[in-house]
Amino acid sequence: MTIQNMITTFAGAFIFPFLIRLAWGRLVEDHGPIGGWLAGGFIVGTTWTLTHGVGFIVQTGAWVDMAWAAGVGLFLASAISGDDSSAGFVNAFFAIVGGVLGGFILSNLAMFS
Amino acid sequence: MRHVGTILGTAIAGMFVMSVWGAFAGAYGIGGGWFAGFAIISIMWYLNHYIGIHNNHGAWVDMALGIGVAGTMRDVFSSGIQVGIDALPTLAVVILGGLAGGYFAVQLEKVNSEG
Repeated sequence: MTIQNMITTFAGAFIFPFLIRLAWGRLVEDHGPIGGWLAGGFIVGTTWTLTHGVGFIVQTGAWVDMAWAAGVGLFLASAISGDDSSAGFVNAFFAIVGGVLGGFILSNLAMFS
Repeated sequence: MRHVGTILGTAIAGMFVMSVWGAFAGAYGIGGGWFAGFAIISIMWYLNHYIGIHNNHGAWVDMALGIGVAGTMRDVFSSGIQVGIDALPTLAVVILGGLAGGYFAVQLEKVNSEG
């Protein structure tokens, strides 16, 4: 990974949780659950065009998705806003278990194995 | 049972994102990738965070954490531990960028709420 790669990778990873934390909740407040649907397209879909579509996040091995950035960034944002991080770590453990399970099942799919 | 909800919700979201999304992008290019975000994340967010089968007492654990893990572990399970080691530089920079993005978002929230 070159310094140029690190710059774009960092920038892409910065933008995703930044947009989610600032805009997703407001979209839901203003539009109800349909705001969450809009966020799926205009936050996640649009950020994907940057991070993975044009390749801001440069890959060096197993796939590192922009989702990693949202997972850690949103947890930190919540924790420094005063939410209980020890309870959060318990839930994070089970989210990771679910992710490992999903990844294991996918690895059995013909397109990946 | 709440933790079972988290496991099922993240596993399902991770499977959709880490297989169907790439298929949309492969078939229709960048527009397919955008649409995949709309089509997949919308309903997965609704299931995990709006209906709320994903357990979220305490600091926010987003379904994104499980999705990220699913994508990386998919490749580790199918190609071996070496690709996981090879991924560490990208993973480190992505985590740092993500933490910085979350941090600065909160700082700007504070500024905005002060008016």
